[in-house]
Amino acid sequence: MTNKQQIRRALFLLALLLLVFAGLGAWLVNLQVLRHEELSAKAEQNTQREFWQAPRRGDILDANGNVLATSVLVKRICADPSLVGNQSAVAARVLAPLLQLNEAELAQKLTPRVTVKKNQYGRPVTNELKYVRLAARVPEETWQRVVATMTNLTFGVDEKHLTRTNRAFFRNLRQSAIFAEPDQMRVYPNGALASQVIGFPSVEESNISGHLLSQITGRDGIELAMDKQLDGVVGWRVTETDRAQRELVALRDEDVHARDGLSVVLTIDSAVQHIVEVALADALQKHTPRSITGIVMRPKTGEILAMASLPNYDPNQPNTITPETRNRVITDVFEPGSTFKIVVVSGALNSGTVKLNDEFNCEHGHFAFAGKILHDHDSQGILKTWEIIEHSSNIGAAKIGIKLGEQGLYDYAWNYGFGRKTGIPLPGEARGFLYPVKQWSKVSIAQIPMGHGVAVTRLQILFAMAAIANHGWLMRPMLVSRLQARDGGVVQRYLPERVRQVIGEKADVDIIEALKTVPTKNGTAPDAAMKNYVVAGKTGTAQKAEGGVYVSGKFVSSFIGFFPADNPELCISVVMDEPKEGYYGGKICGPVFRDIAERCASYLNIPPDAKLMTNNPSALIVENAARKL
Amino acid sequence: MAKNRKNQAAAIRFGPALKASFLCLLIGGSAIGYVWQKSEIGRLGQQILEREKHLTQTQNENKRLGDQIAILHSPVMLDRRAKELNLGLVPAQPLQVVRIMEAVPVLEKKGSRQFAQRLVTRLTP
Repeated sequence: MTNKQQIRRALFLLALLLLVFAGLGAWLVNLQVLRHEELSAKAEQNTQREFWQAPRRGDILDANGNVLATSVLVKRICADPSLVGNQSAVAARVLAPLLQLNEAELAQKLTPRVTVKKNQYGRPVTNELKYVRLAARVPEETWQRVVATMTNLTFGVDEKHLTRTNRAFFRNLRQSAIFAEPDQMRVYPNGALASQVIGFPSVEESNISGHLLSQITGRDGIELAMDKQLDGVVGWRVTETDRAQRELVALRDEDVHARDGLSVVLTIDSAVQHIVEVALADALQKHTPRSITGIVMRPKTGEILAMASLPNYDPNQPNTITPETRNRVITDVFEPGSTFKIVVVSGALNSGTVKLNDEFNCEHGHFAFAGKILHDHDSQGILKTWEIIEHSSNIGAAKIGIKLGEQGLYDYAWNYGFGRKTGIPLPGEARGFLYPVKQWSKVSIAQIPMGHGVAVTRLQILFAMAAIANHGWLMRPMLVSRLQARDGGVVQRYLPERVRQVIGEKADVDIIEALKTVPTKNGTAPDAAMKNYVVAGKTGTAQKAEGGVYVSGKFVSSFIGFFPADNPELCISVVMDEPKEGYYGGKICGPVFRDIAERCASYLNIPPDAKLMTNNPSALIVENAARKL
Repeated sequence: MAKNRKNQAAAIRFGPALKASFLCLLIGGSAIGYVWQKSEIGRLGQQILEREKHLTQTQNENKRLGDQIAILHSPVMLDRRAKELNLGLVPAQPLQVVRIMEAVPVLEKKGSRQFAQRLVTRLTP
């Protein structure tokens, strides 16, 4: 009896146990097999943390490695208002002066708040606000002062006598309520120097896998043109943290470092750029034009050593950026005036249509053609081809143009690069206007040779002059010399590029001979002559057209030249838009050219023309016996 | 039987006791070793983290100082300082520059070379 009952009880217990184990087994199958994916993802979410690392944007350097733009690591100060509690006023009082913020606004930000949001099922869910941004682009030193201030903060209570919970509250407030996130800021150490070439950026926040990451994006200039190269690649780390949110290095899973952006080395020389900007600023003060531009380049390679346009802006102060401060060298087009005569005369010389000593009747300043009267600023009679350049005779140039023919003139202008982009690696370059022959009026053949009826950029006309300085070879403008990694290793090197030979050697020598006469006593730009170098150049004074009508008293004045004329090292352009004091290109732009040229020659140590040197010290000859072969 | 029991009680069986002690030590040691190793991993992990932070800070500081040097060396800054300090510095004029011309190397007679003559064999490329 007893045994039977015992056996029954035992069986019942066994059945109960089996049922429990079966239930547990089923539960385990549910957890480990059926819901494996969901739960393992949840477990990973609870333990794993992803940290994203923004790459440092590459620097922009000048040809000598001087920093023109760099990225500085700074902090973005944030707060967790839920940890601040009722002490927001105290925290705001100490933080406001450090972060240079309004105390009341800061206290408002630090006050705990509850937000109500709808969850995925559409039900309202209340969340305590745990993240507010207090200040951006805070230097590391300021952040260290914030940390020290928060650590030493007292709240006027004896914390030893507080409960454990209250003590934890004050500890968290000091240690965790205010925290910093890494950020970076673009800095331009030289301020406005070459600002239109360098450009400016904006800071944008991009969402990478749910993480907000601030990124600097170029908006103009090299910052925009080379944005992809300057921008690096984001890095990340998948790891686990302990309760105190410290990383457990042993459990680090993925660790991919951010790859910094490449540094862009420009052909710009900051010393030359400084020389140009100082000279232009002086001229701006003296002649008060609407704008003034200056470019210095090497005709043999197309390297641009300086490019400036005033008024300019300081990229460190975005509020100084206005449409007026654009890079007019490439964005604005103008009728070039007499500087365009180099196209027609060189073209005519090259085609054999005219010779340097051919004579033209300049009609004493009045020439009727196709129902229009063309004028010269001086009454000239018979002039040789080179004298047409020397005196900048419009009528002489028109007659050469007529002799060259419409198609010939158009072809030479097109081959010099007018009416199309030069290919400079800067955004916003204008093409200019060079209409096809079929759109020309009857008078176009006489107007275009004197620089009317075409619109060019300052860069196009400079490169046309540079082609003459370079044996007739037109070069591609070169602004970027190379891309290099942070350790200085060269990633990509850009080489000078010949576009085409526009005129032959003989015509080139002839046109240079003609251009040498411009900065002389009889020429239009005696003030452009240099003391120790022979200069070749051309002046331009073009009346401005507004609404299809030429406006009296408004001019674009220019001087474009190169030196030493027989072995050109530098080609320089100075253009003033609507100068107030004087307007002849030779008179107002010539001295600016000379000023820039002389300082650049001294800085770049360009050997002077021996025949112009007075009291020339004989060069020292160092004999190196060891080099005997 | 009684004798055996008496003998057994009197005899100290060191072998099993040692084995048991050794096993206990092994298990205990392994457990302690495991815990020590884990705590070392944690400690070294924190050290790695601190060193990584230090390295980053040093690199950033290096970059900052490098930038500072570059700024101080920049022509704009040098020009500004020269003006501020009123040093009266002006660019050198072409006449003040002495140019040193390197002499054209003189080619000497072929026979006077001091190189050892290499034997010409069929294997010479």
